[in-house]
Amino acid sequence: MTRTELRNWSMVTAAAAAGLLLAVMPAHSQAPAYKAPKTADGHANLNGIWQAMNTANWDIQGHAAGPGFMWQLGAEEAQPPGLGIVDGEEIPYLPAALAKKKANFAARSKDDPELKCYLPGVPRANYMPYPFQIVQSSKVVLISYEYAGAVRTINIDSKKEAPVDSWMGWSNGHWEGDTLVVDVTGLNDMTWFDRSGNYHSDALHVVERWTPRSADTLNYEATIEDKNVFSKPWKISFPLYRHVEKNAQLLEFKCVEFAEELLYGNLRKKGTDPYTK
Amino acid sequence: MIRKFTFALVAIVMLAAALAFSQVASKPAAAPASKGTVALRTTDGQPDLQGVWSTATTVPLERPANLGAKEFYTPEELAANAARAGQRKGKAAPREDGALAVHYDLSQFALNRREIAPSLRTSLIVGPEGRIPPTTDAAKQRAAAAAAIRRDHGFDGPENRGLAERCILWGSEGPPMMAAGYNDNLQIVQGPGYVAILQEMIHDTRMIPTDGSAHPDKNVKLWFGDSRGHWEGNTLVVDTANFNGRAAWRGSSENLHVTERFTRKDAETLTYQFTVEDPATWTQPWSAEVSWVKSANDRIFEYACQEGNYGMANILSGVRATEAKQAAGAK
Repeated sequence: MTRTELRNWSMVTAAAAAGLLLAVMPAHSQAPAYKAPKTADGHANLNGIWQAMNTANWDIQGHAAGPGFMWQLGAEEAQPPGLGIVDGEEIPYLPAALAKKKANFAARSKDDPELKCYLPGVPRANYMPYPFQIVQSSKVVLISYEYAGAVRTINIDSKKEAPVDSWMGWSNGHWEGDTLVVDVTGLNDMTWFDRSGNYHSDALHVVERWTPRSADTLNYEATIEDKNVFSKPWKISFPLYRHVEKNAQLLEFKCVEFAEELLYGNLRKKGTDPYTK
Repeated sequence: MIRKFTFALVAIVMLAAALAFSQVASKPAAAPASKGTVALRTTDGQPDLQGVWSTATTVPLERPANLGAKEFYTPEELAANAARAGQRKGKAAPREDGALAVHYDLSQFALNRREIAPSLRTSLIVGPEGRIPPTTDAAKQRAAAAAAIRRDHGFDGPENRGLAERCILWGSEGPPMMAAGYNDNLQIVQGPGYVAILQEMIHDTRMIPTDGSAHPDKNVKLWFGDSRGHWEGNTLVVDTANFNGRAAWRGSSENLHVTERFTRKDAETLTYQFTVEDPATWTQPWSAEVSWVKSANDRIFEYACQEGNYGMANILSGVRATEAKQAAGAK
């Protein structure tokens, strides 16, 4: 091969390589739908430690910053602002239910179940300001929440019905492509959606959709249905972020002992209050 | 030529063997080696410990003194013991028609019957001693101080009541994990790099990384300690430290160090072994072994506790009422 022949050959090769590259690149400039890495059994891999980065736990609807309940705590306990996670601005409360929501709001500094360290229910557990961890196996997806040690097991492709109502409900899941769809029933009527008194009855039915949107984020979406409280189904959605710290781990937020004085302080022996010592 | 070829082949085989060995060292063994064990696998190749297990047992933790160093019953002795236990039960509550007078059924109260793996062990504690080693003087002093607070201030406020009564944790949760007395169930779920253990009492989940990572800073103190696992063949070995000492499992201190070994024996049985050491509590480490049986239930019910803890309010208000009555009587 002469020098010219070699050069020509190189150019042909380079052109062919460039053509190949063009062929595999997407035709449009917009990003293609994200394809999640898969687990050994072929489903999208949702394993990890996740947390919402929003203020929905204060109020799932859009809200401005506001004062807290205890002036002694100054700025530390004030309510942070947020755009909300409800699709559309209004929650379709039935008239009587809206009145109840307003009453809850007025009494929120003593009635929110979170004050008492009660289990948070679904969907609230997913947007509280604490991390949670997903452990995904073929038949069961376990979600362990740092707050109060709350936990759910999602049975995959199970048609079993909730045998009894509970705080965290009964979760049946199935895969639709990369999306884990979870049907949650059997929820009791004792949890709230947030610290602002948004609530539901025991007819609550939540359908969650967990979809990977990048290596370190998930889209979370839930359709909420409750014929006793809402005139029609409505939706919430927000992203979840992976804890990417190398040593990330769930710790314990066993909050019972932080709520005992609130719940039983009036029943203690006079003069033994550990908080005034 | 042939010699050269043979040499090359031997080199390739040795290289392959070395590679295989290095994989064994970092991953679970590829196939069961020892007789009598099964290697049920998860889809990603981990030994499969998953499912709902019953930790209930009829074997006492410590061996009855009259058995000395006898670690196992013969099958005949076990059958005779069971028969005697059955007779005692029958005598306790005869009915006119001769059948047993069953007062109530546990399932009426949403409590499942205890599912128990058969065992010939005379005590859960292994070895000729079969008993917890003597406690140290420091441990005796801690126990006496705790007893004095219980005696003099046991009903002052919620923080003076037991951890189970307060819905903080159940004494059996450990680690090491023991039978709870009722609801002796736990569920194991495995994901890539993690083993999760959900104990029914009091809906607590242990999240155990199996990536060889180290315990966090010693100032990160936890009720259940910090657990780190790794695989040795088909056995999950879990090392737990960083206890806050407030759970004080069997009087232990925050220096408690627990090593647990989980081995799936067959589809229905899992062998759970543990060793506890705490020089501030026991004069020497001690070890126990218990068989868990696969539960007939495929999931765990929610044991909400704090949410319905009327007992705490009732206990404290009862004591306050008694005190008020006594004070009125003294006037």
